[in-house]
Parts: sequence; C-alpha cells; structure tokens
Amino acid sequence: MTEQDYTTVENSADTLSHCPGIPRLRLATAYIPPQMFREMFPLSEALNKGTLFPELYRPYRRYPMKGEV
Amino acid sequence: MDRSRVAMLRELQEIEFALVELNLYLDTHPNDNKALSTFNNLAAHLAKAKKNYEARYGPLINFGHSGPVNSWNWIDEPWPWEIEY
Repeated sequence: MTEQDYTTVENSADTLSHCPGIPRLRLATAYIPPQMFREMFPLSEALNKGTLFPELYRPYRRYPMKGEV
Repeated sequence: MDRSRVAMLRELQEIEFALVELNLYLDTHPNDNKALSTFNNLAAHLAKAKKNYEARYGPLINFGHSGPVNSWNWIDEPWPWEIEY
C-alpha cells in the first residue's frame, strides 16, 4: 500500500465522512492477503489453537486495562 | 471410560479438524498440490484411525459408515454425551 496522504479528498465519501475537529479518516477497506501453504501446527496444537496454519493464528492479546499494573 | 478410548477419540477429533482446515484452504486453492497430498494422507490416516477405534469400541456413528454389524452394540454404554474428556 503506497504511503498516502490521508488528508487528500479523493471522493465524496472522504468529504461526507469528515467531522470537523477530527482528523480526516478514510472509510475502512477490507482486504484478505493471499495465503500460501507453508507449514502446519502439530495436529493437537492446531485443535487447541483453532487453526492449522501458523500464519492465521492471531489471538487477541490481553493488555492490562487503564490503572491495572 | 478408559483413558485410551478418550485418547483415540481425541486423536480422531484432531485429524478431522485438520481435514476441515485443509478442506477450507483447498476450496480457495484447488490447485495447491502440496495441500492436496497432505489432505489425502490425512484422510487415509483418519480412515485407519476410525477402523481401529471401531474394532475396539464399536461404531462411531449409527449407520452409513462401518457397514453391516453382527450385533447392535450401538446402544451399549456410554452415549456420546456421557463421554468425559
């Protein structure tokens, strides 16, 4: 993805979705990077982790909440 | 329920989960031969594992898999929901 200046207005969505006082943010764009078959988790690990493919394993990390040490 | 039965069931679940994953991958990458051969190996492995299990503990499902039976041991204990993993 080229480094873009998100302040440039490319289409009406950029204009209409802009709220004054808030940085101009582009509407979200979904994408799915192509997957290549590389290696697999051991089967027992795959069942525990919920995927056979290490590149798809991305659990939500638990970050301490504000004020939590 | 004896340990080895639960262990064999667990192994079946692990293999079947991996096959589901490969199935999903192959849906979008049907020409990936490495994935296809992995799938075939695992499918053969699953068939063998199921045969071993059924030889020792009876049918995994009530019909459609292991063919005719000489005694109706489908109703023997335990029922699937009684299995403690």
